[in-house]
Order: sequence, then C-alpha cells, then structure tokens
Amino acid sequence: MQHALTRRTLLKSAAAAGAIGLGGAFTGRRAFAGTPFTMQSSWVNDAEFTGYFTAIDKGFYAAEGLDLTYQSGGPDVIPESTLLSGTPLALTSPDTTIVAIAQQGAPFKIIATQYQKNPLGVVSLASNPIHEPKDLIGKTLAVPPVNAVSVEALLRLNGIDASRVRIVPYEYDPTPLIKGEIDASVDFTTNVPYTIEQAGKKATSFLLYDFGVTIYNDTVVVTEETLKNDRASLVKWLRASRKGWAENYKDPAVYPPKFADSWFKGNGRTTENELYFNKAQQALMEHPKGFFTMDEAGIAANIEALGQIGIKATRDMFDTSVLEEV
Amino acid sequence: MSWRASTHRALAGREWFWPLLLLMLWEIAGRYDLVAQGALPSPGEILTQFWHDRADYPPHLAVTARTATLGFLLGNLAAILAAAAFAVAPRLERLARGITITLFAIPPIALVPILVIALKGEAPRIALAAITVFFPTMVSTLLGLRTIDPRLSDVVHTYGGGALKLLLKVRLPSALPGMMAGLQVAAPGAVLGAILAEFGSGSRWGLGAYLLGSLGQANPARLWGIGLSATLMAGGAYALFALLGRRLNVDTAAVTLASNSAPDLIGTPGSNSLAGRLFWIAAAWIVGLAAWWLIIAWLNLSPIIAYGPQDVMRYLITGPRAAQNWQRLLPAFGETVPLAILGLFCGLAFALVLALICRLKPALGAMILPAALVTQTMPLVALTPLIVLLLGRTLAATLAITISVSFFPAFVVLTQGLAAVPASAREVVAVYGAGRFKTLLLIDLPASLPHLLTAARLGAPRALLGVMIAEWLATGYGLGNLLNRSRGMLDYGMIWSVALLSVLVAIALYQLFAAIEHLVLSRTG
Repeated sequence: MQHALTRRTLLKSAAAAGAIGLGGAFTGRRAFAGTPFTMQSSWVNDAEFTGYFTAIDKGFYAAEGLDLTYQSGGPDVIPESTLLSGTPLALTSPDTTIVAIAQQGAPFKIIATQYQKNPLGVVSLASNPIHEPKDLIGKTLAVPPVNAVSVEALLRLNGIDASRVRIVPYEYDPTPLIKGEIDASVDFTTNVPYTIEQAGKKATSFLLYDFGVTIYNDTVVVTEETLKNDRASLVKWLRASRKGWAENYKDPAVYPPKFADSWFKGNGRTTENELYFNKAQQALMEHPKGFFTMDEAGIAANIEALGQIGIKATRDMFDTSVLEEV
Repeated sequence: MSWRASTHRALAGREWFWPLLLLMLWEIAGRYDLVAQGALPSPGEILTQFWHDRADYPPHLAVTARTATLGFLLGNLAAILAAAAFAVAPRLERLARGITITLFAIPPIALVPILVIALKGEAPRIALAAITVFFPTMVSTLLGLRTIDPRLSDVVHTYGGGALKLLLKVRLPSALPGMMAGLQVAAPGAVLGAILAEFGSGSRWGLGAYLLGSLGQANPARLWGIGLSATLMAGGAYALFALLGRRLNVDTAAVTLASNSAPDLIGTPGSNSLAGRLFWIAAAWIVGLAAWWLIIAWLNLSPIIAYGPQDVMRYLITGPRAAQNWQRLLPAFGETVPLAILGLFCGLAFALVLALICRLKPALGAMILPAALVTQTMPLVALTPLIVLLLGRTLAATLAITISVSFFPAFVVLTQGLAAVPASAREVVAVYGAGRFKTLLLIDLPASLPHLLTAARLGAPRALLGVMIAEWLATGYGLGNLLNRSRGMLDYGMIWSVALLSVLVAIALYQLFAAIEHLVLSRTG
C-alpha cells in the first residue's frame, strides 16, 4: 500500500509538472497590452481561418489596438452558444443562427460574412457520382446534424421528398464514403476531395449554393449588446481581419506552410491539405467590395432560400452598419 | 515441486500463445484489408503511423493526462467522502439519491454542451471526468462499507463502539476491495470523460482534439493510434488499481460467507411502510429538483441555454409550443427506450459470460479481456467507420455499441463478486467431487446473482447512453439524433428535456432492479 501511494504521488507530480510546462506554451493568447477581444471560431484550426492567423501574426489586430484571443471550434462546438455565455463575436453557419434568432429569440445580429458562397456541398465518388440533387433519390447521404437544415432546404427546393433519401449522421470521417458504405456526404468541397484523392479515389461534388441553397457561411455574428456597447472593437476587428485575408490571398501558397509549427501544429493535417484548402476557397470568399462584404442581393438570397423551408429570416437580422464604417 | 513448476511454466506459455495468435491474425487481417475493406488497420500500420506522428503526441497526451487525473482525483474524493457519509447516515443516502443517480444517469452527450458554457478553460473536461468516476466509486465503496461481517459489528458494539468506530475499524477495511473495484471502473471512465469533453470544448490540445482534427483525414491507422494511446493510459490506471485491489483483497477477504454479505441499498431507514417509502422517494425528488434549480440560479446564464425545472415544465407542459415539442420527443423516445432495454440485457449477458470465462479459463480470459478493454476505452467515434462497415447502420450496430458502452462496469462488479466467494465454499463442493463447471453452477452463479443485479442497475443508464451514442454516430434515429439536431438549432429546451427524460428512464430501470434485488435478498435472506 505504501508503495502504491508513492507511485500515485509520483504520477500526480508528473501530471503537475506537465501542467506547468504546458501552461504558458499553448494558449491562444498573446502577451500584448490592448483592448481584450475574443472571437469564437467555427472549426478546428485549419486553412479555413488562414486570414485570421495571418492578421494575428502580422500584428494587424495589435495595430488596431485589439488584444485578440482566438478560440478554436470543432464539430461539437456550437459557436452561437458561446455568444450566449459572453463571447462577443463568433463565426457561424447562417441557417443555425437565423433559426436561433427566429425560434429561440436569441439576441444576435449578423454583421459580415467570410464566405459569399457556402463551401458546403454534396461530395461523392466519381465511380458512383451524384451530380445533382435528384441523383440522391434512393441513396444514403451522410449529413452533419448541424447542417440538417441546409440539406432539408436542398431537397425541398429541388422537389425531392425527404423520405426518399436515407440520411445518416456524418462525423466528418470520409472513410465510409471512400469504402462505399454511404453514397455521398455533406462536407466542405474545399477540403474533403483532397483527402479522398489521397486515398486513391476520385471525388465529384456540387455546392448546395448552386442548387438554390443560396446562403452564406462563417457569418460573423455578435450579440445586440456588443453591437450597441462595443461597436468600436467590432470595426477594428473587421478592418484587421479583412487586411489579414487580403494579405493571405496576395499568394495563397505563402501562409499555410508558415503556420505548420504554430497555428496548425498538432491538428493532424498535412501542409499540402491546407494549401489545397486555402486555394480552393478563395473564389468562394472574394467580393468586388472586399472580403466580408454582405450586399443587398446576397442578403435577399439568404432570406429567400431559408424562407422556402419555413424559416423566417428578415432583413433586420443582418446589420451592415459595421461594414460601412470599416 | 517440480511438477507444479512445470505446469506453471506450461500455463504461462499458453497465456502468451493466445494473445500472440490474436495479434498475428489481426496483423494479417489488417495488412491485407480483409476486414471491412481495410477500415481495420493492422497493428503494424498503426505503429508505423504512430512513429510518423510521434512529434504530435506529447502535448496532446499531457493535456488529456492532466485533466483526466485531476478529474479522477476530485471525483473519487467526492465519491469516497459521500459513501462514508451515506454509510454512517443512511437517511442522507436516501435524500441524495435523486442527485447521485442523476449524476450517473445524465448522458454525457447532453451534459457537455451545458458544461462547456457554464465553465471555462479546462474546467469542463475536469468536471466531466469527475462526474464520470463519481457514481461507480460511490456505489462500490458504499456496497463495501455495508457488506460487513455481523460478528465484527457485534464485537465493536460489545466494546461500546458507535457508528464512527464501526466505520473506521470495520466498514472501511472491509470496503477496500469494493472501493478498488470502483476505482478500477472509474479509471478508464476518467480518460474517456476528459476526451469526450474535449470534443465539445474546442480546445486545441488533448487526444480528443487530435482525434477530431484527424477525423477528416480518412486515416484509420491514425485514429486507432490515438484511440490506443487513450486505451494505454486508461489501461495503465486500470491495471494499477487491479493490482492494488488484488493485494488488499488477500488481506481482507472474509474467511467465510457472512450471512448478510448481500448489499442493502434499497432498505428504507426508519420505516418500511408504504407511507414511509413514499415519503423518502418524494424527499429525494424534492432535494434533486432543488439542487437543479439552485445550480441554474447560481450559474446565471442566458435563459436560452440554462433551463431550470420550471423552464422545462413550460417547454414540455404549460408553454405554447409544448404539444409541438412532444411531437418530436415521443417518437424518438419510443425508438430509443426498447433498444436500451434490449441492449442492457445483451450487455449484462456479455459481462457475465466474460466474467465466467475469466474464472474458468484464465488464459482465454487473458485473450478476450484486452480486446474488450480496447472497445471500452477507444473513443467510439474512431471506431464508427469500422462498425458501420461491418454491421451496417441498424440493430446490429446499435447493439454492438450499446454492449461496448455498458458491459464494462458490470464485468468488474461480477469479477469482484466471483473473487469474493470464499475458497472454503468452493472446497466444500470440491470435496464432494464437483468439477469446475459444477462448482460454477452451485457456488459461483448463485453468489454472483446479487452482483448481477447491482451490475444491471449500474448498466441501465449506460445502456441508454450506448443507444443514444449509436443513434448519434451511426443510425440517425431516436433520442441521440434528436439531441444532435437540437444542438445545431440552439434548441436547449429540447436538450434539457432529453436529458431529463433519459434520467427518468434510467431511474425507473434502476428502481426496478433495486426492487428485484430486494425481493431476491429477502427470499434468500
């Protein structure tokens, strides 16, 4: 017993030593005196967020006087819920945000959008291709549950009875698709085709956007309270973020390799994958008036698409006044 | 001496033979993509990938080890203190039953979104690890504290000792094997709890975070490497407490079967009348609801996220959309609960067979147990492709996941129960010429019955969780899917309602098995 206790104590002190070692090294926060500001990301650290990492490392936020804390997301992180617990800004999927506003009365405003066109698409193997929504009839489609609304909209807008498609949960592992256990999955077309090709298969895909689900993605959402009381920080954040993305797309091959040992460290992905992603998403993000722009036509398209499945989006859920100040 | 030594050597050889054969078969099956079209990687492929990824691991391992260890220590400390308090004051146990069972029965997949919002930084991960370990340790310790030789308590009483003296001198020493069994179950639970909360907390570091980042890579060898690292961590802790338990058991094992060796968890202090029972049940409910209400008030979160008892009542009964909400909830409920009951029986049967195999054929047990332990501590999300490729997305997959989630606590309780059968009891039947199977039939099976009922109670909430996980990961039906979809819609009213209903179902099953246990014990007295 005495012996065992000693071992346990040892384990404990080893764990404590680990704690001390890690405490400083791996926090997202950088030591800098400025107005503290936190953003909640929508996913794990990958090329989807290259522009923010670029802006942080190039000191764009610092130059604006912001001390930015970047909180990573992931498949089980619902960014909207962190807004409700006090984080001032989050990147979200506009369908879930609008459902939260319309049905739960969440006090949110959408102030900008990272993607003009949602990168979500239906991905299948070229050997068993799904070219358009009606090809899904009688097939098995894996859908991340948070994207269920978008897929419901896709089927409805294309006149497909939802009961004719077998929808199963998707946990972002393409293995069942590669092995043919499912016929298609709903995933980022900017990312997963790379993995499928690495596995020796050819992928084919179409964007939900191109079949009527004309919604944004990674919309920038804040609480009404932040919009009212901390507008200055939002303007600064948006200006620095826009600069970061513009810097990144001077040459999309420059920044992803630079982050391999910092922002992307330990995310389990390869630099080649991040490069593919960073290049593939560029066309979905650009807008003549600059990154993050929400124009009236885009907003109207969002409202129209969601209205088709009974989600009452209204113009006042979108607030373009911060964009106008940038 | 010589024949004994050689038998021993032969046995040791055989112990090595079977696991090695298993490993070789696995290597061949994985190497040549024989299982599930290559979704099962071979040990060699896993090791190669692990070596390739070796620089990624240390920070992830360190964070998971830290949060799991902190949660393990805090949760078990609370559990042992609570068990001691409950042993001294049985009324307290009755009052707190609503809280303790809820802590165990609440599905972690419903709890994580709430914990992540309520707590900051690593706290949700530590909290979930602590909550995961609390109940098994508390129940096993309490069982041990109450299973005492009546002659010993008579001795203490004769010498003028009170309840506290009894606790220190008799109950605590006799509770050590049970406590060790609890800690054994708890150890893998802490690792899994910490990892599960990493999924929801958006942290960059930890095996769970690494797993999430790697999911999209279609690299089963990597996922297995991460899962097996979690397994090694959990298995190491498990082995430590198994070893400790075995040592302590030698010192404290009862020489003969005490007549009241069966646990008395259902017994009502004071009154056994119907009115008395109802009073205690009502009291436990009130205490549980009051605790819920207080926690919500104390957290002071947005009402969109935090639902107190009154908010759930509005959501499900008095509110304007209550009928609509039931329309979504009831069918899901009807899909999940029958599967959970079926899964519970399958899990118990699996645990019993495994425990008996380990008793009768230790070599075979040594081969099966590691494989069973791997399914226990591998995060299921890493195994999902393998499961759906092998078993599809219907009943078979659901039952496999449910057995995997629910059998382990039952297995440990049963093994411990079989080990506690005094050697003298076995010797008696051996003297009369009974073989190993006869001994099993006459001694081990009857002796394991109360433990089987304890195992059923422990397993009920886990079986429900198992079905919900299967629905969440593979089938897309029932409560698991409803929970998953509601998260995306920020419909926390539904999340709380599912959590509440699953706790109620688990409590109903728990009480059912407790009642059967009571009935059996009063018959066999």
